[in-house]
Amino acid sequence: MKKTVEIPLGSQHISLLEPIRFRFHCENEVIRDVDADVGFVHRGVEEACASRFEFKQVGYVVARVCGLCAITHSLGYTLAVEKLLHVETSMRIKYLRMLMVELDRIHSHMLCLAHTAENAGFEALFMQIMNERELVMDVQEALSGNRVQFDYISIGGVNRDLSAQAGALVLRNLSLLEPKIDELFERFTSNWSLSLKYRGIGALSLTQAYMYNTLGPLARAAGLETDVRLETNDFPYAQIGFEIITEQGGDIYARNLVRLREIKQSIKMVRHIIEGLPEGAIQEKTKGKPEGEAIVRIEAPRGELMYLVRGNKSSILERVRIKTPTFSGIPAMIEIFKGSNFADAPAILASFDPCMSCTAK
Amino acid sequence: MNKITVNLENVVETIKAFYNPAAHHFLTLNALNAPDDSIELEWIFTRYGVIDEPTVFTLTCKRDVLIPSVTSFIPSAIMSERETVDMFGVSIEGAKRGLYLDEDSREMPLGRCRV
Repeated sequence: MKKTVEIPLGSQHISLLEPIRFRFHCENEVIRDVDADVGFVHRGVEEACASRFEFKQVGYVVARVCGLCAITHSLGYTLAVEKLLHVETSMRIKYLRMLMVELDRIHSHMLCLAHTAENAGFEALFMQIMNERELVMDVQEALSGNRVQFDYISIGGVNRDLSAQAGALVLRNLSLLEPKIDELFERFTSNWSLSLKYRGIGALSLTQAYMYNTLGPLARAAGLETDVRLETNDFPYAQIGFEIITEQGGDIYARNLVRLREIKQSIKMVRHIIEGLPEGAIQEKTKGKPEGEAIVRIEAPRGELMYLVRGNKSSILERVRIKTPTFSGIPAMIEIFKGSNFADAPAILASFDPCMSCTAK
Repeated sequence: MNKITVNLENVVETIKAFYNPAAHHFLTLNALNAPDDSIELEWIFTRYGVIDEPTVFTLTCKRDVLIPSVTSFIPSAIMSERETVDMFGVSIEGAKRGLYLDEDSREMPLGRCRV
C-alpha cells in the first residue's frame, strides 16, 4: 500500500476566492480522497428571515446572501411570496426581471472565466476580462441605481422602470462587449496553456452528473440537459430565444465553453428583451400576508437556486429555506477531485465557480 | 406541488421506489418545527427537462428519533442531511454534525419550537 499524505488547501489560500477548506488525501500526486469544510462564512440568514424580519423586508435580506447574484436571490424569494399572495405580475415586470437576471449571468460567468485565466497564469487576461466586465456592471448600475447590492426586485414588481436612455446604454454596452466575448472564445478554444491543456482534466461523466444531482454549467458541460429556464413557466424564456446549451466531456475545457456560449446567448436574450419590452405597470398592488407553502426555482449563474417559503398569515414567516447551487454541487466536486492530480486542484476548483457566501448563507 | 405523506418505517423504501436518477432531480431536504416537540421533514424532487410541479415526501416525527438517510441511493443528499442535523439538532443516520457549527456545539439555531 502506498503512503498517503494529507495536504490541506484553505481556508485561506492564494488560489481560493472565498474561504473553504479541503483536506486532500494524496498518494504521490494523485488525490485519493477529499474532505471539504464549507462553513466559514455562515451568517444564519435563514434564521434571520424567519425571526427578525417581516416578509416585506426579507427580499432585501436574502439579496445579501451573495453579492454576485443578489438579484437572483431576491427574485427567488419574491416569486415564492407572490405565489402565496396570489399576485400576478405584468409582462413588463417579467421582462425587466429576466433582463436583470441575464445581466447577472453575464458578469458572473465573466468573473469565473477571469479566475480561470488567472489560475492558468494569465494575469493580464484576468485584468482584461475584469475590465470588460465593467460594461455589464455599468449597465446594472444604470438600471438599478446600485453597483453591487441592487435591491431592484420588490414584492409585486421592480423598483425602477427602464428609461429609453438606459435601454440605449444596455444595447450600446452589449454591442461593445460582444466582439470581446468572441475574442475570448477564440482564445479559450485555441490557446494550449489557457484552456486546451485542461481537456480531460477535472472531468465529470454524464452518469456521475445524474448520480450527484449536478446542476448548472457543471452539469451542462457533462451533457446533462437541465436548466431551470426550461423547467419552469414563471418567465416566458421561449419568447426571448432561450435554448439550452450543453457540451460533451464534462471537463474544465467544456465548462469554459458552456459559460462563453451562455454569455453570448444571454446577450442575445437581453437584446430581445429590450426590443420587445411590453408596456405595462412595473408594480402590482399586493395585499394580505403569506399563507401556505411555495417552492420556486431560478436558474442562477451557477445553477439551480431554490427558495421554499412557508407562511401562516403572519408578518414573520414560518420558514425560509434557501438551497444554493454550490451547496448541492459539493458532493460532485469531491467526486471530481478523486483521481485528479493535486497540481490541478486549483484549476478544477476555479472551474466549479464555487460561491461560499451562497453555500454557507 | 405533489405531497406524499410517509412515516419513519417506509420513508426510505417509498423514496427509493419513486426515485429514478436519470429522470428525477433531488432538490433538497427541508425541515420545519412542528407542534409537540416534533419535526416535519420534506424530501423535494423535480424532473429534468420538463415543466413539472415538485414532488414532496413529508414525514412528521418526534425530534429525538433517529431519522433514516437516503444517501445510499442519493449521495448528494448528504449536504442537506448534515445541514438539517446542525440547524435543527435532529439525528439523521450517518450524518455528522459540524457542517456549519462546531461538532460539539449545543446550539441548534432553527430548532427552537416556535409553534
